[in-house]
Amino acid sequence: MKKLLAIFLAVAMLVSLGITAFADGEEPIHLTLWTFQELHTQLYKEMLDKWNANPDNPKLDIDMQVYPYEDMHNKLTIALQTGEGAPDIVDIEINMFANYLKGDIQLADLNDIVEPLEDHLVMSRFNNYAKDGKFYGIDHHIGACIVWYNTEILEEAGIDYHDIKTWDDYHEAGKVVLEKTGKPMCTWESKDCWSIYPLVNQHGGDWLTPDNEVRMDEQVVIDTLAFMKSMLDDGTAVACPGGNHHSEEYYGWMNGGNCASVSMPFWYLNRFTDYMPDLAGKMKVAPMPLWPDGGHKSAQMGGTGTAVVKTSPNVDIAKEWLAYATLSFEGSVNTWLILGFDPIMTDVYGSEEMKAPNKFFDYYEDDTIFDMLKTILDDIPDTCLTEYFPAAADIVRNQMAYDLVIGGGDPAEIAHNCAEELRDQIM
Amino acid sequence: MNESSRTTLQKKRWLTDPKIVPYVFIAPFLIFFLVIYLYPFISTILMSFQKIDGPGSVEWIGTKNYEKMWNRNFKQALATTFRYAFWDVVVLTIVPLIFAVILNSSSVKFPAFFKSVFFIPALTSIIVVGIVFRLAFGTLATAPANRVLALFGQPPKDWLMFADTGNFVLVLLTLWRWMGVNIIYYISGLQAIPTDLYEAAKIDGANSVQQFFHISLPGIKPVLIYVITITVLGGFAMFTESVALWAQNNPGGVGRTIVGYMYLMGFYKNNMGMASAVGLVLLGLVLAVNLLQLIAMGFFRKED
Amino acid sequence: MKYSNRIDGKRQRVKTFLATALMFVTAALLMVPFYFMFLSSLKPGTEMLRNGLSLTFDPGVSSFKNYEALNTYRDGIYWHWYKSSLIIMLLQTVIGLVLSSMVGYGLAMYRFKGRNAVFTLVLILMMVPFEILLLPLYRMLIKVHLTDTYFGVILPYLVPPFMIFFFRQYVLGLPKELLEAARIDGCSDYGVFFRIMVPNMIPAYGAMTILSCMNSWNNLLWPLIVLNTNEKFTIPIGMGTTITPYGNAFDVLMPGAVMAVVPIIIVYLFAQKTFIAGLTSGSVKG
Repeated sequence: MKKLLAIFLAVAMLVSLGITAFADGEEPIHLTLWTFQELHTQLYKEMLDKWNANPDNPKLDIDMQVYPYEDMHNKLTIALQTGEGAPDIVDIEINMFANYLKGDIQLADLNDIVEPLEDHLVMSRFNNYAKDGKFYGIDHHIGACIVWYNTEILEEAGIDYHDIKTWDDYHEAGKVVLEKTGKPMCTWESKDCWSIYPLVNQHGGDWLTPDNEVRMDEQVVIDTLAFMKSMLDDGTAVACPGGNHHSEEYYGWMNGGNCASVSMPFWYLNRFTDYMPDLAGKMKVAPMPLWPDGGHKSAQMGGTGTAVVKTSPNVDIAKEWLAYATLSFEGSVNTWLILGFDPIMTDVYGSEEMKAPNKFFDYYEDDTIFDMLKTILDDIPDTCLTEYFPAAADIVRNQMAYDLVIGGGDPAEIAHNCAEELRDQIM
Repeated sequence: MNESSRTTLQKKRWLTDPKIVPYVFIAPFLIFFLVIYLYPFISTILMSFQKIDGPGSVEWIGTKNYEKMWNRNFKQALATTFRYAFWDVVVLTIVPLIFAVILNSSSVKFPAFFKSVFFIPALTSIIVVGIVFRLAFGTLATAPANRVLALFGQPPKDWLMFADTGNFVLVLLTLWRWMGVNIIYYISGLQAIPTDLYEAAKIDGANSVQQFFHISLPGIKPVLIYVITITVLGGFAMFTESVALWAQNNPGGVGRTIVGYMYLMGFYKNNMGMASAVGLVLLGLVLAVNLLQLIAMGFFRKED
Repeated sequence: MKYSNRIDGKRQRVKTFLATALMFVTAALLMVPFYFMFLSSLKPGTEMLRNGLSLTFDPGVSSFKNYEALNTYRDGIYWHWYKSSLIIMLLQTVIGLVLSSMVGYGLAMYRFKGRNAVFTLVLILMMVPFEILLLPLYRMLIKVHLTDTYFGVILPYLVPPFMIFFFRQYVLGLPKELLEAARIDGCSDYGVFFRIMVPNMIPAYGAMTILSCMNSWNNLLWPLIVLNTNEKFTIPIGMGTTITPYGNAFDVLMPGAVMAVVPIIIVYLFAQKTFIAGLTSGSVKG
């Protein structure tokens, strides 16, 4: 880590030298970039240096500003609304993205940089940030949902996680774990969507159709909720301490070895390395169990769409650099090495570059993670993020999850109520 | 007398004209209001009748925002806000008053030290406050609040997941955070009361309680009115504290206040027109409640 | 006579003991979160999560390393935030105190046409949720080219209505004889205000200094909308950037939050000293 930092600092110094160097010759083009994630700037800086190191590229000077998460979106909304003060490039959180695709869209379409690479990218990730066939955002990761198993607990119960193929197997294994160790198999979130949505989506369900028809009360949703409830009923699943998998209370509890597994998107990996250090070497990752009655191998969840603002005076060069930073082979490898994400470029999966040691590999003591991921990439469904998605997500978090996990209500009734609520809001 | 000195004299006279003087004093506010707030004010009122989908796509929709507002979510936010505001006002006016009176009497040692300690919570980063209270009132049996319950033989509670216990934690958090501030208000009022009044009362044989009701309370009535008014306002406009505990979540309908709902509409759903309408309704509500309270306290009856 | 004095003395001592004990216990309870914050600021972030709300000092994992990290985190940006917060706080408080005390005094002391209307306007402005004014306010700020400036940040708080209201109430609470005596002395209206009323309003200035500093110090939304350069950010905005959906920098957050308390505590002690001194020399008592 220190070494990485040293390299990073050295590079940073070189850049500053570089900037002064080309100040005499060619004036660099200034761009502004907003993000709510300090970590992203590390990737951007790295890719900016590489870009400027190539003499064929026009020199760039990118001013990267880090804002608090929700507030950055508030600020962006205001800036776009008033047409003043918006950056050239901006990271937009997936749940917020639909807001910026309303009315007269203020973002530049990225088709010219995305379409040539179509065969190398997980295209379903682009549909989240698209409208009328135009792509407006580039994601940093797939966010493929996987399962983390605590092998120490599973071994105590005599279970090999490789044998868990379906959700029914998972439930059965849970019963054994509960009986042998007294610990739950998993936790369901009671105030967030990271338990319900991946399972529903993997099962083939979603909240909305592209035309904003509500799908919340379809049978597949009810079945998924019923499955989750059945695990709650026999104690193989418990309500997540703190309400979601991002609460301080959950981190401490999970870190203490109190639960056998958790299902989250791939990017959750850095929570383990950063907040659950005691589980190092004990956690192993595996694909999600499959639904016996169909569905998909995984689901893609969460994300950040990096977009270019249409009114920027430097749209073209901003796009070009963005494509280089996020859609190139090097950019994709760095997405893993620096951020710990699963890149959206399929070419890198299984490549040697992806096996370079980093803190994430060290934690798992396993460098086959991407070979495992490669097996599920071909079957990840789209998620449907229309302008009513924020409303749907709000209902799932605050009504569906709560009524199921805390309220213990009837799955069909919950699905029906939530669907009605969403329909009310769409009308 | 030359021309210029005459005009300065005139100017002086003009400035000291008893009819003009009051307006000079209040001029900063009037100018401030006209220059800075009048346009935003009008603009917001207009926005509440619009559907705004971004620059250039603004549509007049009449009173539709107001009609659509009356839904389940808004009603829930309203209930949450009223429940919280009620307890907030009760607790946050009475408790600090008791502490201020004690601190201002000569009965306490190191009053300056205590006053500063009581004030520190208001300075603590709200992000950290959220972490602390979420951990203290956690789900697990090992959470501090649940350990306290266990001492009394009570089963653990999932504090932040239910409206009643969640509201309790919220009120506790606000009391913790703002008590010191209200103490400051009260003490500044208490200090303006001449000490000879107390001495005279003592000679007449009045005890502490009698002194409180006959000297302190009437003496700080204007400040008390101020504290109640801003506490009512703070109660209805509360947002930061609920975000600290629940972020954008609303488990059991306890996490979202009216301002939270306004945020949800304005930013999370990018519907500025609706957010403006909600904000104006909130303004009306706070004004109405405060007006009732001010009338009840005889605010408009005489000259105070 | 002597006997009753002794009883009084004893009673007084019991009273002092009880009152001080109550204050002490309350103070201890109130300080728990702050104490936790301080302990956590000495530990790596993972340590805090591992042990939950632990109030025991663990010398094994504690050090001032996180405080040193404040100097290196993003090239010491924390101290830039600190400076911005201080500048904004100072400007906002000085201007706000001067202007709003005048207005508050004017509203309390004089009877004039439109007084109630103006006062009602003060109350309305105090109660309007600031969030709904954001968009038009920002639009205006762009027109006068004040975005990304400190003055832009303090612009909506030049004459804070809550301060006007407080000063008005405070002046109303002052003994009436004082005001009448001052007038008879033959001072001009402005002389009365500056020479006689201001000294008597010192406790109010003290309270409002503390409050204004605190409000400015904790303010998040408006500074965030106005400021664009990371170095110009204030502490609350900066602290917000350490908490993200993809990971939290507890190692910066905790020491940063502890250090952020220091300036306001200094302001507090200073203001308290000033208004206590002001009281003993002022004319309220005499």
